[in-house]
Amino acid sequence: MMSRNGEPIIRIENVHKRFHTLRGTVNALNGVSLDVMPGEVVLIVGPSGSGKSTLLRCINRLETVDAGQIVVDDIPLTGAKNINKVRAEVGMVFQSFNLFPDRTALGNIVLAQRVVRKRRRGDAVTRAHNLLAKVGIPDKADAYPAQLSGGQQQRVAIARALAMDPKIMLFDEPTSALDPEMIKEVLDVMLQLAKEGMTMVVVSHEMGFARAAADRAVFMDEGRIVEQGPPDKLFSSPSHERTQLFLSKIL
Amino acid sequence: MPDESNRNSQVGPSEVMPPEHSGTIVPPKSIYDRTLTWAAGLPWWAIILLVVAVAVLYSMVTSSVYRDIIESLTDDPQVSTDELFEVVQIVGEPTMIVGRYVGETQDSVQSVITQLLRNVIESELVTQSGFIQAADPATITIRTETGLVTIPRDRIETMEPPDATIGDDATITYIERITITGTLTERDGDTMTIRTVDEQIETFEKSRILSREGETIPCDREADPDCEDQEQVTIERAGREITGTLSTLSQTNLSLQPEGSPGTVEFRMGDLDFLYVPTLTIALHEAIVEQPVQPGDEVRIGFVEGTDITAALAEMENLEDVPVPLRYSDGTAQVVLVPYPDLAAALEATGAGELDATIYLDDGPERLAAADWVDENPDAGVVLPNPPSTCDRHCEVTVKLQDDTVSGIVVDETDEQISVRTQAAEYVVIDRDQIVDNRRMEPGTCALNNLRGCNEGIFLTLRVTFLAYGLALIIGLFVGLMRVSHNPVIYAISTLYVEVIRGIPLLVILLYAGFVFSPWLRDNTPLQLSDEWEAIIGLAFGYGAFVAEIFRAGIQSISRGQMEAARSLGMNYPQSMRYVILPQAVRVVLPPLGNDFIAMLKDSALISVLALPDLLQLGRLHISRTFRAFEGYNTVAILYLLMTLFLSFIVRTIERRARLPR
Ligand SMILES: Nc1ncnc2c1ncn2[C@@H]1O[C@H](COP(=O)(O)OP(=O)(O)OP(=O)(O)O)[C@@H](O)[C@H]1O
Ligand SMILES: [Mg+2]
Repeated sequence: MMSRNGEPIIRIENVHKRFHTLRGTVNALNGVSLDVMPGEVVLIVGPSGSGKSTLLRCINRLETVDAGQIVVDDIPLTGAKNINKVRAEVGMVFQSFNLFPDRTALGNIVLAQRVVRKRRRGDAVTRAHNLLAKVGIPDKADAYPAQLSGGQQQRVAIARALAMDPKIMLFDEPTSALDPEMIKEVLDVMLQLAKEGMTMVVVSHEMGFARAAADRAVFMDEGRIVEQGPPDKLFSSPSHERTQLFLSKIL
Repeated sequence: MPDESNRNSQVGPSEVMPPEHSGTIVPPKSIYDRTLTWAAGLPWWAIILLVVAVAVLYSMVTSSVYRDIIESLTDDPQVSTDELFEVVQIVGEPTMIVGRYVGETQDSVQSVITQLLRNVIESELVTQSGFIQAADPATITIRTETGLVTIPRDRIETMEPPDATIGDDATITYIERITITGTLTERDGDTMTIRTVDEQIETFEKSRILSREGETIPCDREADPDCEDQEQVTIERAGREITGTLSTLSQTNLSLQPEGSPGTVEFRMGDLDFLYVPTLTIALHEAIVEQPVQPGDEVRIGFVEGTDITAALAEMENLEDVPVPLRYSDGTAQVVLVPYPDLAAALEATGAGELDATIYLDDGPERLAAADWVDENPDAGVVLPNPPSTCDRHCEVTVKLQDDTVSGIVVDETDEQISVRTQAAEYVVIDRDQIVDNRRMEPGTCALNNLRGCNEGIFLTLRVTFLAYGLALIIGLFVGLMRVSHNPVIYAISTLYVEVIRGIPLLVILLYAGFVFSPWLRDNTPLQLSDEWEAIIGLAFGYGAFVAEIFRAGIQSISRGQMEAARSLGMNYPQSMRYVILPQAVRVVLPPLGNDFIAMLKDSALISVLALPDLLQLGRLHISRTFRAFEGYNTVAILYLLMTLFLSFIVRTIERRARLPR
């Protein structure tokens, strides 16, 4: 594993997030604190509604926080002007892929490189082809999302995020919308990324991936971090009662 | 997928029948229902073809009426524009019309010709009623409700009562002004000469051509590669010969009723080459002129074999100027009739003294031949009587018009016939002190190479619709984006616009644009809107609200994940809109936008309230002139229908192009 010297690349300090809905206020995050070191792979698990997605979305500012502070790569996110720069440094992969349906796989990967990174078309296309080869679908460059399987779509989505050369990758249940035989092809790409030393925060309940790649596992419930530690330890001998209850349900 | 569900829903009702209905008899579909189902199943192009076919069929029945209407609804476009030409407006009548000649073929003149065929000279008649205040030999001054009017007497057309004098009430119709349109050819101190032109197609039998000279005018292949060379000809043609029953005959004129046709034709004597009345005539030997025939003498008279001479026998008694007591009817003279094979032989026999006289049919050629023979043989002693001129009604006459020359462009030529387009120029000389206004007209005439000059009817409707919809799209896009904004001020402004405009009838918005907004703009800014732009702005503003709602719905129909994915890649809000959301939203909104486009084409009929001559307005004008409401509204409706069908075809094509592969 990577060395963990120096400053954390993500610092989350006592973050609170509330949603105001018609039916009342939901406390999605209740004082979450978490540091992620460069090159570390952090796995977040927890029951539905525990605030995992909300935490990820706060890290790249898709949601603003109500209290507390998040610092990514030394840039505090609260009120940051250069928020789009931070977002470009942080890649995100969604459960529902969110590919642009009116563009080919190649077009999906090229777009933000051109618009945000201002790369020349030729460079962007070369990079896109390399990334498609890396995620194992070099021959699907001209396919539209609707013409791809779920696993292929998710791999295009990963390539799209990687094209921005992010320092951090966030995965929000990347495999939970996939059939079992497609899960493996996506996990293989993620494992490969982890091996290359990418800093990753992954919300997933894939135990295989957790044991193989995660440096740390975090258990969340009701907007709080209940317990964390090395995955083997957390999964085999959880110290907290709620962790035990949750794990007994999913294992 | 949608196909399958459709099929299911169609099959459904007949298969799954409610139990209480299972025993009843289902009545067979009526022909009407079946036709409707059949028509609904037709592809769109078949429907267009059907409509066009019906329209064409119908217009064949009443073609000239429809052609007229369509011409007026489409601004009657010319094929090509002209050079500049000049309009001169004058008071009073032109002093004279000078000359008239045939054969202008220069390009410029030709194109002027096509422009000026209509209304070359137009006079404006005005009627005034009032009380005659003053009168002198040159003018009459009447007091009307609005003031005093002085009218030159020579311009008065009618006056009621005709002998009204000072103090009487009178109604006077007079020429107020005459407008002459043409090309200025000459201008000196006192007069201006304007050439107007007149174009005609002359078609006549080739057998009448006496001589023909032609040259080919090569056409301008650079301008139009498919053009055809034209032939410029000068043809000398024989005057027509017409035979018919004489109706009237005077010193100057003659009219006859041609054989087999009911009407009469009138000729000026000066135009005629010759006129003959076929009668039997007698040529005599001079001996018989000097020495009367004695009773009991034998008189030998020759005639051409085959000639019907009984009429001549009756004619003989009436011979004027020939003091010959040729009496044969009562048996005082013995007449021997001798047949000859031709006229010359008979005349020769007369000259030789073998015959006393020769009777022949005076039908022109024979008379000429007889006259020629007498001229050539002055010593033969044959005298001819003067031609009979007593017939002035009901006899059969033949006239031959004078030979003439035709110059022009050959437009059509068959084995028997030739059609030549001739141009005749007429020169109008005007006293300069009569000219009140003359101006040069820019070539703004509606023509296929100058569609910007087409400002009426279908052109106006289409142009207003396209421009207004373009503007509505821009307004709608911006307002639609404002409507999805999180900024409460922007959202409030856009919502106000949408709700207010959507709640006001389009007609009212148009009236606002034309009678409130546009005058305000004129008074407070240097901008001045034309009627057309008032209509465009009104339509665009009214439709902008609907288009905005379409865009808003389209943008909101794109899932939130798309925006989040774009933002997570580092794009800012405008970039995400521009590159991710709008391209998808536009695909979604194409069908409703197309619907609105077609709806706007139809609603553009409302702009006639701004006094714009759009399709409907022109149709109504035409109907009010001709009282042909059925044909008029038919044509208006069919033209709208054709335009909307064509537009929905375009919209469909765009939709198909924009569809994503799946
Ligand atoms: N945009 C929102 N508006 C209102 N409430 C929200 C919103 N997003 C999340 N929540 C609420 O916040 C809480 C945490 O949601 P979150 O999506 O983070 O859960 P999660 O742990 O990701 O659950 P799952 O495993 O089902 O994805 C939930 O109660 C959810 O209803
Ligand atoms: Mg979630």
